[in-house]
Amino acid sequence: MFADPVPIVSLYLAWSAALIPLAAFGVIMVFLRRVPRAAAGVSLCSIALSLIFAVSLLVRHWHMEGPLESTVAWMVSGDFEIPVGVLLDPLSLVMLVTVAFIAFAVQLYSLGYMAGDPGYARYFGFMSLFAWAMISLVLAPNILQLFIFWELVGLSSYLLIGFWYEKFSASRAGKKAFVMTRAGDTLFFWGWLILLVWGGTLSILDLNNSAHDLSGAMVTVSALLVFGGIIGKSAQFPLMTWLPDAMEGPTPVSALLHSATMVAAGVFLFGRLFPFFSQSDVVMTVCLSVGTISMLMSATMAMVSRDIKQVWAYSTISQLGFMIMALGAGGYAAGIFHLTTHAGFKALLFLCAGVLIHAYETNDMFEIGRAGGRRMKLAVLCMTAGALALSGIWPFSGFFSKEEIMGVLAAADNPVWLICGLAGVFLTAYYSFRLIFVILLPGTMAPGAVKDMHARSYGDLLIYIVLVMLTALTLVLGFFAESFHEALGISGAAPEGAHAFSWVHVVSPVLAVAGIVTAWAEFGRKSSQGTGFAERIGPVGRLFSSRWYLDYLYARIADRLLDRGVAEGCRKNENHVIEGIIGMINGSVIRAGRMAAGWHQAMIQTKLMALFAVVFGLILILLVV
Amino acid sequence: MELHAAQFPFLSLLLLICIAGLALVLILPAKSNAAVKWVSAVCSGAALAVSVFLFAAYDRAAGGMQFVEQVEWIPSLGITYLNGIDGFGAPMLLLTGIVFFTGVLSMWELDYRVKEFFALFILLVTGVYGMFMALDLFFIFVWFDVSLLPMYLLIVIWGSSAREYGAMKLTLYLLFGSALILPGIIYLVSSSGLATFSIPELVQNARFSDFQQKIAFLLFYIGFGILAGVWPFHTWSPPGHVAAPTAVSMLHAGVLMKIGAFGILRVGMFLCPQGWIYWSPLMAALATIGIVYGVMVGLRQTDLKFVIGYSSVSHMGIVGLGFATMTVDGINGAVFQMFAHGIMTALFFSAVGHFYDRTHTREIGELGGLSRVMPAASGYFIIAALAGIGVPCLASFWAELLVFIGAFRSYPALAFISVSVLVVNALFMLRVVQKTCFGPVNERWANLGDMTFSMGFPRAVLAAAIVGFGLMPFLMYDVIQTAAVPLINGLSTLADQADADSVNTILSGLTSRLP
Repeated sequence: MFADPVPIVSLYLAWSAALIPLAAFGVIMVFLRRVPRAAAGVSLCSIALSLIFAVSLLVRHWHMEGPLESTVAWMVSGDFEIPVGVLLDPLSLVMLVTVAFIAFAVQLYSLGYMAGDPGYARYFGFMSLFAWAMISLVLAPNILQLFIFWELVGLSSYLLIGFWYEKFSASRAGKKAFVMTRAGDTLFFWGWLILLVWGGTLSILDLNNSAHDLSGAMVTVSALLVFGGIIGKSAQFPLMTWLPDAMEGPTPVSALLHSATMVAAGVFLFGRLFPFFSQSDVVMTVCLSVGTISMLMSATMAMVSRDIKQVWAYSTISQLGFMIMALGAGGYAAGIFHLTTHAGFKALLFLCAGVLIHAYETNDMFEIGRAGGRRMKLAVLCMTAGALALSGIWPFSGFFSKEEIMGVLAAADNPVWLICGLAGVFLTAYYSFRLIFVILLPGTMAPGAVKDMHARSYGDLLIYIVLVMLTALTLVLGFFAESFHEALGISGAAPEGAHAFSWVHVVSPVLAVAGIVTAWAEFGRKSSQGTGFAERIGPVGRLFSSRWYLDYLYARIADRLLDRGVAEGCRKNENHVIEGIIGMINGSVIRAGRMAAGWHQAMIQTKLMALFAVVFGLILILLVV
Repeated sequence: MELHAAQFPFLSLLLLICIAGLALVLILPAKSNAAVKWVSAVCSGAALAVSVFLFAAYDRAAGGMQFVEQVEWIPSLGITYLNGIDGFGAPMLLLTGIVFFTGVLSMWELDYRVKEFFALFILLVTGVYGMFMALDLFFIFVWFDVSLLPMYLLIVIWGSSAREYGAMKLTLYLLFGSALILPGIIYLVSSSGLATFSIPELVQNARFSDFQQKIAFLLFYIGFGILAGVWPFHTWSPPGHVAAPTAVSMLHAGVLMKIGAFGILRVGMFLCPQGWIYWSPLMAALATIGIVYGVMVGLRQTDLKFVIGYSSVSHMGIVGLGFATMTVDGINGAVFQMFAHGIMTALFFSAVGHFYDRTHTREIGELGGLSRVMPAASGYFIIAALAGIGVPCLASFWAELLVFIGAFRSYPALAFISVSVLVVNALFMLRVVQKTCFGPVNERWANLGDMTFSMGFPRAVLAAAIVGFGLMPFLMYDVIQTAAVPLINGLSTLADQADADSVNTILSGLTSRLP
């Protein structure tokens, strides 16, 4: 399948969508650092333009025949070219609109949310940088361009997570996010080096159409290495622990990070290279297992956390696990559809949590509940809608995408995946509604003034507009599943058989409802204890709440192996061995000098002795000769 | 090697500007600090302008040696005053111009023996400029030493912690290096039987045997490699950086280490391609050790300048790895890395110098929260750190990218190791950034001032160079390419004929392929 060139108008639209946020970033960082309002305006206008261009691109190419690609050489080194360009196909168009829309909504929300922050201008500058990086990543036609923006997405996350740099935990969380994703990126780097040097191509379309020189084994190896990058970026097992910490950033940043940008990049890359990954069964099985493990593990962590943002963060890992399971089981459209719907409702959940956290100045759901969180009616209502979508209840968008994933898993050879998936459905509903019931139906509630922010100011109004907009989206998006499938059908992905209606589609909603009921029994009822079933078994609760000791393990590795092990060894070598050798050379030079100096001492006896010896020797030689 | 004669002696003009500036500084009365600073600033500004012009005016399509000037100097010994720049020299001149200019401006607040400082500083830069443009072995050696010796005084008089030790160690190491280079040069020239020191002539006409090339290359590799911070000869460099004053650290890490790498390139690789081929596995191994080792030792340092010093060892290892790959990508990346690393460390030391001027400490543990008090200074520090990590769209990313691609073609295992160091590198840099710039403000520094515009300006120039070449790497690669491609083409001809019994045919093959 050869790609046609992108029509010139679309090319301009795509380039502008990507580059306008970059221009906004430059303008803000260079000129508008001290003019916060103008900075916010520039940033918002740029992302609004990107959104308009993205939507017009989607409309123009709604029924495209095949992928369109245009590249130019950005840099030439010998016979190696680094091309930049755009690749337009249904996947990139859908992602483009999703990214631009979520970024726009989040920036609109931030206008009010971040008001008064001393770093207001810087915040919007970084937001624009983030938008540029993610949009260019989505449009990338080759792995190298994708990798470049992949790294830039990581950089923007680092800057935004550590945005409140004076908070120690924030700057540490930013560093952790960068370093852990970098660990995955190293594997990705290896992977694309293999693709480039031994496979001979980095073009996504070439790779997907098997137009490379790799043997079957090398395909497996390189795809696994690339998947390592996905594990890091999408916070999958075992590199998952940076994501819960990343909530140290401002809440809108978490919303952006968890929905359409940073973590979505990983799943997007999987989708992008889906046909390439499908060339190896081993890779698909590994993906399926990693997705399953991450999905279940983070669900257990979410069950015991008291921090609202942390619960949603764990749920993100879990949902990404679902997407990777779907893709790993061959359900391309199901995985990508879940990515899209998830972006909408996860942004909604975080933004609602932000409103509550802003009002009550705590992240603890029990405290918010006791302080009377449910009096903020609109925010709690929208959050409940988001939680319903997350749990997969009809008619919210999550229901449709989750059912598709279950259908794909049911079609897989091994029933283990389906059982794990169904367990995940139950746990998801349970932990989401644990949170909702804790806030909605607290045992006791402090009396007090109604802390409602409904349209108290212009900024708050914007916040609520965004919440309602996202809620509406969550309600309607599910009904576009059919047209979504049609659009994605041409991506060269393996065709999926129409899933027959099976018992799975009965069991899965029932399990979701069962999860909600369990949550109600433990947290919602009047006589409930307020402790979950996992917490009642001491060790299990501790295991879950300390994140399966993964952080502990990494800290040990970093400290013992790296800092005090290899690095200290190198330092000792530097200071003792190398310096010691230099010292020895020094010392021997000095000793030699002393020795030579000794020959020049004014001791007449030794000199005369030497003189006699030389003369005697010479005479001897003369005699002999 | 094609020589394009200059219409106007721009290269000599560059040297003359420096010498005129030096003379003017020396003539000025000892007390006139402001005048000395202005003269130096104007001199460095003019030098920067000429360097930028030369970089821009270098004809990318023609390639080869351009702006060549030739004057018989000592005909009886075959010494000519022969200057010229190719795709490797032009970026280096630009680098020197930028670091010279920003270095002078960074020392604007100096008030101790100002005249002597700037006189020595300009002398040092003159040597550096000369080294990057000289095409005559004799002059290369002279300029090399001219650029080394002022360093001793600059560190001993204006330096900080352990300056006598640092300066002495540095000078002894580097002189040991030149003690290897000189025999190498004399050995090559005498065995060529041509009685000339001119590199183009030697490349064209000399017939060196395999053995001669191997010996000479090793001498050059170690001699120049000491200056380039090749592991295990790097230990002079971190203490030297620490002891030196800000502008000298900038010049030292930014430009002087590049002289070493440039010497390996210009003298070693051009004259002894067989030696290069023979020793390249060793070069690759040492470079990889340097890359890993620099980061690892840096991880345990507590002094900001030591941290940067060891990261320089690691980054210069990337240059060495690029040289060892013997691919166009590797050479391109290595030369770009020389440029990018020069700008990056200059910015690093410049920002640290500002921290030190204000807080009088470089202990990482004592700093903290500087972003609040000095947003501009720490902003530049963070940009330099991000460039050091190799974040895309900053200059060093492209350099590392190409070196790793080149290395993967030649030495996949070493490339894997070097790439995986990127994680530790990120950890190491971000940890330093976090501890110095982020976190709550330390009470002791709460009232310190940020950079004024005049202090911020040189940093802004450096940062703009990092971002500019990071966004538009082709500006640099178009130039470097013109020299790297012929060099490697010559090499591949050589490799094809590796079994030929006559060295003569090999070398004529090399020269005929050069444009």
